[in-house]
Amino acid sequence: MTRTFNQSLMLYLGVIATLALILFPIYWLFITAISTSAELSALPPSFWPADAQWEIFARVWEARPIPTWLMNSMIAALGSVALSMVVSVFAGYALSRYQLRGGHALGLFILTAKMLPATLLVIPLFAVFRNLGLIGSMWTLVIAHSTLIVPFATWMLKGYFDTIPRELEQAAMVDGCSPMGAMVRVVLPIATPGLAATALYAFVLSWADYAYARTFLVNAQDNWTANLGITTMKGEYVTDWNEISAAAVFVAVPVIIIYLFLERYLVGGLTAGAEK
Amino acid sequence: MSHAKMFDLARPSRQHLLGYILLAPAVLLVGFIIVYPLAIAVDLSFQDVRIPRMGRRGEFTLDNYERLFASSEFWMACWVTIKLVAVVTIGSLIVGMSTALLVNNRFRGRTLARLGMALPWAVPEVIAVVIFAWIFDSSFGLMSWLFVVTGITDTMIPWVSSPSAAFWAVAVTMVWKGFPFVSIMVLAGLQSIPADYYNAAKVDGASAAQRFRWITLPLLMPVLGVTLVLVILWVFRDFSIIKVLTEGGPLRTTQTLSIMTYDQAFGFHNFGYASAVGVLTLVISVVASMFMLGRGTKAIY
Amino acid sequence: MAKISIRNVHKNYGALNVLKPFSLEIEDGEFVVLVGPSGCGKSTMLKILAGLEPATGGSIFIGDRDVTDLAPGDRDIAMVFQNYALYPHLTVRQNIGFGLKMRGTPKAEMEQRIEDAARILEVTSYLDRRPKELSGGQRQRVALGRAIVRQPQAFLMDEPLSNLDAKLRVHMRAEIGALHRRIGTTTVYVTHDQIEAMTMAQRVVIMRDGEIQQIAPPDVLFEKPDNLFVAGFIGSPGMNFMEAEVSGGDAPHVRLFEQDVPLEGARPPAGPIIAGLRPEHLSLGAGPVTFTVRPTLVESLGSEKYIYFDAGSQKRVVGHAEDEAARGMIARVDHSGPLAAGEEVTLSFDPARLYLFDAQTEKAIRP
Repeated sequence: MTRTFNQSLMLYLGVIATLALILFPIYWLFITAISTSAELSALPPSFWPADAQWEIFARVWEARPIPTWLMNSMIAALGSVALSMVVSVFAGYALSRYQLRGGHALGLFILTAKMLPATLLVIPLFAVFRNLGLIGSMWTLVIAHSTLIVPFATWMLKGYFDTIPRELEQAAMVDGCSPMGAMVRVVLPIATPGLAATALYAFVLSWADYAYARTFLVNAQDNWTANLGITTMKGEYVTDWNEISAAAVFVAVPVIIIYLFLERYLVGGLTAGAEK
Repeated sequence: MSHAKMFDLARPSRQHLLGYILLAPAVLLVGFIIVYPLAIAVDLSFQDVRIPRMGRRGEFTLDNYERLFASSEFWMACWVTIKLVAVVTIGSLIVGMSTALLVNNRFRGRTLARLGMALPWAVPEVIAVVIFAWIFDSSFGLMSWLFVVTGITDTMIPWVSSPSAAFWAVAVTMVWKGFPFVSIMVLAGLQSIPADYYNAAKVDGASAAQRFRWITLPLLMPVLGVTLVLVILWVFRDFSIIKVLTEGGPLRTTQTLSIMTYDQAFGFHNFGYASAVGVLTLVISVVASMFMLGRGTKAIY
Repeated sequence: MAKISIRNVHKNYGALNVLKPFSLEIEDGEFVVLVGPSGCGKSTMLKILAGLEPATGGSIFIGDRDVTDLAPGDRDIAMVFQNYALYPHLTVRQNIGFGLKMRGTPKAEMEQRIEDAARILEVTSYLDRRPKELSGGQRQRVALGRAIVRQPQAFLMDEPLSNLDAKLRVHMRAEIGALHRRIGTTTVYVTHDQIEAMTMAQRVVIMRDGEIQQIAPPDVLFEKPDNLFVAGFIGSPGMNFMEAEVSGGDAPHVRLFEQDVPLEGARPPAGPIIAGLRPEHLSLGAGPVTFTVRPTLVESLGSEKYIYFDAGSQKRVVGHAEDEAARGMIARVDHSGPLAAGEEVTLSFDPARLYLFDAQTEKAIRP
């Protein structure tokens, strides 16, 4: 499509302005971290600190158990993603390939499960975990996060498997594979982008949780996830914004990096199920 | 390689069994961690119980629900929820669609722009709250300063502690977190519209506005519908943003049904009552989305 | 190579009967084509043969073995799919060798057989490429290679040429024919294209709505169709069908084109009948039965012409040949030079060429 110079200019300006507006809060977080507290209590706010305090990052890293928090978030994420992916890949595949009695019902259930508020499910889970003596253990998160992940993952994966022609498995079976073998040797390798997208989404879902972490781990400081830890840095009346911002940077960075690497897979995964 | 297998799933008569086998783990897991707890929650909602003890059951009662419907707190939470859903959904829709339309054009750096526009999606909600809590800070926050400088207000607005302003602080934060999802979905929808439709319209003499109205919008409707419902459900459910930013206050002006559910359980230790609120919230959101989608429920499953 | 024996195989999906009892004995090395319009059950039958779908009843024997409930991989068959179904994550070489690998063929033997198959199908130069780098025709040849490398007892082909463009289709048709003559494996080939059926098959099985209409070699199908459907399906352009009345007792005749046409050979009872006439059996100029028409359209193919004309009240629409004009009939004549629509033209035919069908049962009436 050919554009006039003016049109191009408008477009670029529009894009840059929009991007600036959208990414500004992230930029602001960073700025807040490296400003001095004096600058923070001055108005008008400075858009780049005169005396940038780069040491804040090292300071916070040592002062607060940030490595522990990140590690715990990672453990919860890896655990719940692993559990959920195994279950969801099989289920998504089954829903895609087979007309099962009750398959329709399961699909509807998955739909409902996506509507489930964590604030409702946390109540009975708390009761059950307390009964099992699990409160304070990371297992609560592995299980609780799976409740978040499995409905979405199954749905995404089903949509993705739907795009792979069934004839591939048929050819593999004629070639001598069992149906399971066909799935593992032929379909799964081809579905890798979709699996990656789903795993990424699952990871982000787990990393984003706050409700479950707060409810189950509040008294187990060693097991605090990053989200939980950060909120404790926000005081009721007074907050050290330098510190909390720097800590926030540490927590946001891993997820942002993963997002940047796998974004193109994500779009495919998110939309695969939506267009039916 | 044809050994006689005891249980050969490759036989035509048995092939469909693999489907059930593969589905079993999911059914079991979901049964244990979602269905069973859900059943417990419903059960709790019919008991007059403060802190549940497993194995001991209170007697069946409708007290919780009666209390709910009579409580002004509940109705206020409903109202806050509806307000928030409306504002955030409209906001996310507008911003999401605009960014999608923008990025749908071909230009250098387009991939980068697309990445950047959806970045807020990846940022955990708690972090978003940290950012916006500071921006909306009463004394030194950027937003208040902007309002004063541009003459909208005379003094710094105490966002988080003002009953009227707190709602908007929450709404803005949620729109920032929520619009990327709309953007991604709409962009995918836009890209699935065949160029030929636009070509035919151009040949017929349609202007850009007309093409948008008669081609883009109608073909985008299914995607928009699905996306809309998912956003609405998300606002219904959300906990982190409100809890950490305003805790539901001040004076419950940001207390949605979701927050109320949680607070009743873990703040006031009324597990039975809280379950009732939660179950009702779920029912409302299910009904609302079924209503919105009508027969198209299959579309999002 | 082996015989295939299909005995009373039928298939239901719940209450829906998609395949009526189907029986067929296929000789060792024979090339049989299942042909029919979409939904006639031919692909279902093929999938049942392959073991990719279970039959509701009946049995299948390949060679002497009852394979009815055997896994596809245990039937010693190979299959070629319409969309090639090549494994995108493997190279051509790995694609071809996949079946051998699954069966634990020793590496050296595998390499040898892959090379042989590749040579026969002329795909040697792409052995190390991936399917997405190949054209449609090349992919189809790789798919054929994957089938022949296993030296199975039978080939099953599911509309393998449907995704190719017209010219390539003609070429591949010949290649598959040549392949069959060279290797001689029993082949069951499914298509909706009657031209493929006529040119490639030793025997054709025409199907419609899950039921076999006729099993015969192509020539017999053309000259002696068993019913209206078969007569209309085979041949392009399709047969012209006319409703008519038989009268005349001992010397039966039908009224066609305002003339009494005597019927030799067949002696149908008096009453309504459907008469069929192939377009190529109409000629320009005078003949045993002559009539004039004003063509509505003349299509010139160089030395041949298709003349479309209106037969008045006699024409009957045959639902199977949907692409033919509702009221028009077609004549296919040899003629070079200009011939305009609208100008009167003389056509004739030999009544011995008429096909007669019962108006009720649609079955052919033969002497």
